[in-house]
Amino acid sequence: MTLAAKSKPNPTPQRPRKSKFQADLAPSEDSSLRALKAELQLTSNSEFLVDALTLFRWAVLERKRGHRIVSESASGERKILLFPRLERVAPDVDLPRVDLHWSEREIESLAELALGQPARPTEALIRAMRG
Amino acid sequence: MAVTIRRLEEFDATEGFDCGDEPLNNYLRRHAWINQQKSSIGVSYVAVDEAAPGTVLGYFTLAASSIPRDRLPKKLVRGLPSYDLPLILLARLAVDKRFAGRGMGRALLAEAFRISLQVADEIGCRCMVTDAYRDKISWYAKYGFVPIDGAGENGPQKMFLDLRTIRATLQNS
Repeated sequence: MTLAAKSKPNPTPQRPRKSKFQADLAPSEDSSLRALKAELQLTSNSEFLVDALTLFRWAVLERKRGHRIVSESASGERKILLFPRLERVAPDVDLPRVDLHWSEREIESLAELALGQPARPTEALIRAMRG
Repeated sequence: MAVTIRRLEEFDATEGFDCGDEPLNNYLRRHAWINQQKSSIGVSYVAVDEAAPGTVLGYFTLAASSIPRDRLPKKLVRGLPSYDLPLILLARLAVDKRFAGRGMGRALLAEAFRISLQVADEIGCRCMVTDAYRDKISWYAKYGFVPIDGAGENGPQKMFLDLRTIRATLQNS
């Protein structure tokens, strides 16, 4: 598929510029496009492109945040979307390492906390995570 | 205002950021990008308004750390595998003064928790620590951070939060 952008000269510098797109689609892609437009009740290619752009932008943002995109069936079966172009923007979840200075007393206190039972979540934490 | 939290990008507008604390301002303006991309000693995430996506409203920085096992009290680690204790460090968190009091700090903290859980899922980690300013101890405590004993009286206070505590909020929702 080739995609070309055509822009008309801007009559006034303040007005936002509209872009026109022309796409050469293979017959199978063209029929997919028409079927999707019919299914989604979209009447124009512009509407289709705007909706597709919104969806793609959302997917890119989610992967940039390191979130996975998952579909879940009614029975709970999950499938993770793996789309090579999206993986280019996904961050590496491994965090870089730093060394902190710890006193012996701090280490002892930390170890007691870390190796003990977890505390119950506070109300503020619950609200933050659900907000 | 629709706010998005994402990784810091090279051309984000950080110069105008002012949280009222010069070291935190300076870190974002001068060091955050270099530390993230070149030195790899911390990843910063920024809150931006979707209408002005380059302008930073608040940020936090995460890094990984660990305590060598041989420094942990023997009575506590007896019977555990001989590995260091991994930690996620919430190294910095700040909100621009113009957007303070609107829940931005809470949203940033919640995102830091979500990322920490994801990191823990990937590489294994049990807890999160932060070095809190003295006047922010109660704010962190509200979200479950517990002061770690042994800090000096005047410097920042190390605080601890068990990632299982954070995970429990998701399992019960």
